[in-house]
Amino acid sequence: MKLKRNTMLLLLPGTVLLILFLFLPLLSILFPTFFNEAFTIGKYVEFFKDSYNLGILWRTFKISMIVTIICVILGVPTAYFMSLTSKRTRSLLLAVTLFPLLTNSVIRSFAWITILGKNGVLNSFLLSLNIIKEPVGLLYSEFAIIIGTVYLFLPILITTVLGVLDNIDGDLIEAAQTLGANYFKSFTKVILPLCIPGILVGSMLVFTGTLTAYTTPQMLGGNKNMMLATMLYQEASALGNWTNAGVIALIMIVVTLLVMQIFNIIANQFDKRGEDENA
Amino acid sequence: MGFVELKNIDLSYDGSKYILKDLNLTIEKGELVSLLGPSGCGKTTTLRIIAGLINPNSGSFIVDGENLTNVPVHKRNFGMVFQSYALFPHMTVFDNVAFGLKNRKMDKNTIKEKVGRILEVTDLSQFAGRFPKQMSGGQRQRVALARALVVEPKLLLLDEPLSNLDAKLRISMRTEIKRIQQKLGITTVFVTHDQEECFSISDKVAVMNNGDIEQYDTPENIYKYPSTEFVARFIGFDNFFNVEKANYHNYKDIFGHQFVIDYEDSRTQAVATIRPDDIQVVPEDSNMNSIKGIVDVRTFLGDSYQYEIKTELGKINVNHKSEKPYQQGDAVYLLMPSNKIILV
Repeated sequence: MKLKRNTMLLLLPGTVLLILFLFLPLLSILFPTFFNEAFTIGKYVEFFKDSYNLGILWRTFKISMIVTIICVILGVPTAYFMSLTSKRTRSLLLAVTLFPLLTNSVIRSFAWITILGKNGVLNSFLLSLNIIKEPVGLLYSEFAIIIGTVYLFLPILITTVLGVLDNIDGDLIEAAQTLGANYFKSFTKVILPLCIPGILVGSMLVFTGTLTAYTTPQMLGGNKNMMLATMLYQEASALGNWTNAGVIALIMIVVTLLVMQIFNIIANQFDKRGEDENA
Repeated sequence: MGFVELKNIDLSYDGSKYILKDLNLTIEKGELVSLLGPSGCGKTTTLRIIAGLINPNSGSFIVDGENLTNVPVHKRNFGMVFQSYALFPHMTVFDNVAFGLKNRKMDKNTIKEKVGRILEVTDLSQFAGRFPKQMSGGQRQRVALARALVVEPKLLLLDEPLSNLDAKLRISMRTEIKRIQQKLGITTVFVTHDQEECFSISDKVAVMNNGDIEQYDTPENIYKYPSTEFVARFIGFDNFFNVEKANYHNYKDIFGHQFVIDYEDSRTQAVATIRPDDIQVVPEDSNMNSIKGIVDVRTFLGDSYQYEIKTELGKINVNHKSEKPYQQGDAVYLLMPSNKIILV
């Protein structure tokens, strides 16, 4: 596509902003991680040698994966249901879905603290029903991080998938039904395959979002269940070690880019449907 | 009793405004029946009720003696071709066509054989591995038809299947549809707003208006003898005027012009109508079936001119072929042959 020079000018303000306030500061942080008198990748080797660091990297990856899977399992049927409802019900449901996004993530995490804490709503409830004898430590665990993050990112997956479902021609479902497919089959054979690209995009947003999330792991995970973002903050803020923070930052960037690339490749596979070849 | 029976079908979404009101339709086995009407007349709705995509508020739907009113879409075993074709974009032509057979849990070899045969009939064999996006409109149309036919449906439902094709392809496709329909002897309901298309392939036509069938007859009868003013207008009659019977086939309009009308009708008051093509423009007055007028507007239609002529009866539209066209303001006489006027 050929763009006119005037059109390219529209990109200028954004580009300048990004270069001045994102790329340059990023470089100034990353630069020292490769230099210790001469060029070296020693800092990175050091990072990967430490089993504590690897544990955090693995936990971050694992939690991101679990959160993404849970969001897909919960979000896709919800989005499908919403796509079938009438316009009014649907805007109501959409408002409910998006409502959590209107509150600050600190407040949302606090809500989960009151729910999951030792004296929290959930424990009191289970105690009163005599299901448990003593309060269980739900808070400050991977479980708490997962719940909080799913809550955080589910709306994003739902809205992304809903957008894709809306673009699926309603005739396709009816066609599937006239050809003998019941509701379940027309969903699995027609709708699901068609919204896989959308599910992948949503998953990518959830995955990278979880991977880089800070507030929720910090507030619900505690110090035992550190993730990359919380470790980065600790290195920089508490320990004042900006070089190590830079190392973690680059690792997070690389992992995020890698994951996005993988998702893109898979999405393209599904989205092909013969468009590349000519009729 | 017919092969397909729609009995007293009512449909309303709010209980007060009826989309279909007491609709009755009988279709014999092997017939191709068209539902013809302007947009909003309920023809597509009727088809969707037949398909099971909409449930009527009341009434029953019977096929081959079996009451299907409450049978869900996927158990009806009908084939439907959608206006948009509704081909599955993520499946090849082969998989699109095989979809219905797979739902019927047939084994792989049977599916392969059946799909192969129908692709041959629809002239698509070389495209089996293609995706819908790689095909032209006419080819997609044939895939949609093949997909609907391969399941050997009891009924074939076509919802304006030709409206997305260009004029030339439309004509060859409708012949194709007729050929396949006759060859397989499959009972077919065809929805269209195009009267030429509908007349050319239908055994019977149901002209619909405001959620009801105005006339249900063979294309020839509808073309020659529309039973209501609406049908007459829809199929190209024009120039409506009131007449009163004097005796036998002799009629008078309100100004006393005399008309001989061959059409058999027992009423004393009726509305006469004639197609613009059937009116002759003559230079002199004759006693019967003729009125005087002044040329008001002339438009060129290619093979003829259309005149709007001011007369005592109001504006009369006439299509007339002549080497030397009449000019605006010319006085002319319009002759309406007795066998061309009908009463509605």
